Amino acid sequence: MLRYALRRILWTIPTLIGTSLIVFLVTTLAPDPASPASGDDPRAPARDARVEEARRARFLDLPRFVNSDPQDIRSRTAWAVAHAGAGDSQADIAAAELRRLGGAAFPYVLPALEALPPEARGRLAVALGPVAERIGLARADEMSDPQAAALFWTRFWDDRALDFTRAAIERTVARLVEHGSDLREEDLVRLDTFALAAVIAAMGTEDDRMTLVRLTRIARHATERGPKLGLASTAGEVRRAVADWREWWFVHATDFVAIDGAGGVVAVLTETRYGKWLRRAVGGELGVSATDGEPIADKLRAHAPVTVLICTIALLLSWTLAVPIGAYGAWRQRRTFDVVSSAVMFLLYATPTFVLAELLRRAAGALGRGDARVGLAVVALAAASLATSSRWQRTAMLEVMRQDFVRTAVAKGVPAWRVAVDHALRNALAPTVTLAGLHLPALVGGAFVVEEVFGLPGVGFETLRAIEAHDSAWLMAVVLATAVAVTLGLVLTDMVYGALDPRLREELVRRQGGRAA
Amino acid sequence: MSGEQPAHETPEASAAIELSRRKGPSRKKRAGDSLSDIRQAAAPYLTMTRIAVLQLARSRLARLGAIVLACVCMVAVFADLFASDLPIVCRWKGSVYVLPGVTHPAALAGATCAREARNPAPGDWTLPPLVAHGPTEAAEAEDILRPPLTHGHPLGTDALGRDVFARVVHGTRTALGVGTAAAIVLVAIGVMLGAFAGFAGGLLDSIVTRAVESLTAIPTLVLVLVVGALVPHPTTATLLWTIALTRWTDLARLVRAEVLLTLGTDYVTAARALGASPTRVLARHVLPNAIGPALVAATFGIASVILVEAAVDFLRVGSPDTMASWGEALGEARANAGAWWLIVFPGAALLVTLVALNLVGEAARDALDPKLRGVGEELTEGMRG
Repeated sequence: MLRYALRRILWTIPTLIGTSLIVFLVTTLAPDPASPASGDDPRAPARDARVEEARRARFLDLPRFVNSDPQDIRSRTAWAVAHAGAGDSQADIAAAELRRLGGAAFPYVLPALEALPPEARGRLAVALGPVAERIGLARADEMSDPQAAALFWTRFWDDRALDFTRAAIERTVARLVEHGSDLREEDLVRLDTFALAAVIAAMGTEDDRMTLVRLTRIARHATERGPKLGLASTAGEVRRAVADWREWWFVHATDFVAIDGAGGVVAVLTETRYGKWLRRAVGGELGVSATDGEPIADKLRAHAPVTVLICTIALLLSWTLAVPIGAYGAWRQRRTFDVVSSAVMFLLYATPTFVLAELLRRAAGALGRGDARVGLAVVALAAASLATSSRWQRTAMLEVMRQDFVRTAVAKGVPAWRVAVDHALRNALAPTVTLAGLHLPALVGGAFVVEEVFGLPGVGFETLRAIEAHDSAWLMAVVLATAVAVTLGLVLTDMVYGALDPRLREELVRRQGGRAA
Repeated sequence: MSGEQPAHETPEASAAIELSRRKGPSRKKRAGDSLSDIRQAAAPYLTMTRIAVLQLARSRLARLGAIVLACVCMVAVFADLFASDLPIVCRWKGSVYVLPGVTHPAALAGATCAREARNPAPGDWTLPPLVAHGPTEAAEAEDILRPPLTHGHPLGTDALGRDVFARVVHGTRTALGVGTAAAIVLVAIGVMLGAFAGFAGGLLDSIVTRAVESLTAIPTLVLVLVVGALVPHPTTATLLWTIALTRWTDLARLVRAEVLLTLGTDYVTAARALGASPTRVLARHVLPNAIGPALVAATFGIASVILVEAAVDFLRVGSPDTMASWGEALGEARANAGAWWLIVFPGAALLVTLVALNLVGEAARDALDPKLRGVGEELTEGMRG
């Protein structure tokens, strides 16, 4: 049994990878906000900051599957230094980039400052001026003179180089978390973006509200973005802000951290659109909802129970009804019961779930029982799966009844009901329930429909709201979540039936593994 | 085993060989010609295909389904004769127009049956359609939500004052058009990939099997909804391609199994031993066996696509263009609780079409091979929404 379970699970892995690829391809259908269709000149660098941000949030700045030249703080700084120092046509963009990179770039700029020719050194020092101003060490007029600015930065680096090491920064953050004070906050603000990695890592582990407010303030100061929090901020605001920061960091981490060593090799695959998207999805981080700023994962957790519940009840209900109806129909083939039940099941099979749900809703409304929404939703959902399973059950039963051992049992004089239940039904049950796995995708689709018709706050209901609001983060998450849920549900049913009937195991693994039919 | 076996391998054919040998003349001919003689001699005998067709024709339910389906197809094809805002034939300002609703002549832009009938010019005449309203023609304010059989609207009007009869009739065209087109594409993809996967084996087979597994896990309705929302300008074609490109999986699985079965048979081994190339084996012996199941699957496939299309339109996120569709009409009914005619007529049209398709599909499946019983359900289950 253990071997079977392991093999079955191993065969799921390639399937999940395939599913992730398909969902990823679906996500690429969403239009690129900066595509030439928006009317801009595509060659113009750094179009609109907001558009650029939206693109980066979806990793559109990265190549799809292989990144031969992953960018990190070192390469970005090198580019900015070259252009800011040369004072060429892109000097303005380079200066803005230096301002954005901030303190994290210091270890790659300041030591090299001395080696530059005086003119380039001056230009670079002036370009770095806004950062000095941001960390509160110099005023704007002090930094406008190239010579003075260069002198300032040389002295700054002589004094502070030791603060700009990873160990030092982690110590400082640990001290702040332990005992928050304005002075310690000030220390971290001085380090500017260099502190971000440790600060945002601390946001994930810390849950004291005051500390979180301090941490977000530091991050906000260094990056000049993000929601403004104060001492009066509520827990909900803080939670959303932290989620926002972690999301932002996931997208922008390589702007402020160097990729080195083994990371440089792996980055070829991870610093890609697919790699980033997959890593985030596996970690359960599905982005932030565009409608209310809540993390998608939290929203999914909040809405999934409704959907899972109605699906499970509907499935159980349909099985309890389908097995006796299908089996008895087959036993009394071509008699009244069989003809009537077959006809009814056929009609149910052809009736779309949404029509049935709408009719049920109206009927209940007319009878004044419009409040029984959950019950009606389950009935509407169960009907489709009842029709399917009872037809399968009937077919399986007919198949078994044709076999020799049933005829032998009848000939031996075994009572009819015992032949029906013990000999025939027992053997006809397994294929029916195995096939039920095939019904799972349809069941989820049906759940979306009935939730919408009956207004149940499940995943489907929320998805239709997300469609109205163009909340693409939610939509992408939902496709992935349903696909993974269906795959796991399939594995689960296969496990149960493999345990019940060992003869089925090979068939189940092979159906998925597919070497031979 | 289902489908058509080469004629010389059936018992009837061996009898035919015997016959032709006794007659004598074929013995003088070269070997290549004798095969066609055998075929001719065997013609009156029953082949698997003939048995299937005969059995299909015997089934009363299948006949009923086929008749209903034929009617539905006629309605779809000739929708403009049943309901249109322009006449079938008319003479207007001295020129004669045939089916202006289809050809859209510039001279008649903006004209409708109702308006022209009010003040006919001398010498003009029109042959109006059954109902003189088009599916997208929005009427005046007093025509909103009219019950059936009032003011020339046999099935009433919807919340936008559009004629329900016209929308149901033209919705037939949408449903069958989308269903058939998607089914053709997905059958083509499914047969091709399934056959090649089964025939080539190895890596290609593994890849196709993985793809089938992965695609099967994604609920069609969810996928279609999300793709429709992500694509900047969704149309009915978006829905069609989404379904066609993702729902070939069940068919590929079936065809692959069929191919593997066929490859193990003696006549394929014999053909190989006689030096038949892989292409010939595939085309002459393997694919003909897959055609029957593929046709059955196509029938069920059309039903599933119609179902998904209606469900998506019902959820109000379908094509923003004003194409008439049953699902959209049923969606209208949700907002207007009192208007029973908005749910009854489009719902009946949808149900009748689906029942007819399923009847024909099931009968075809049973006729083709009793052992295939249940396979069609397995096939379409992944697509139901």
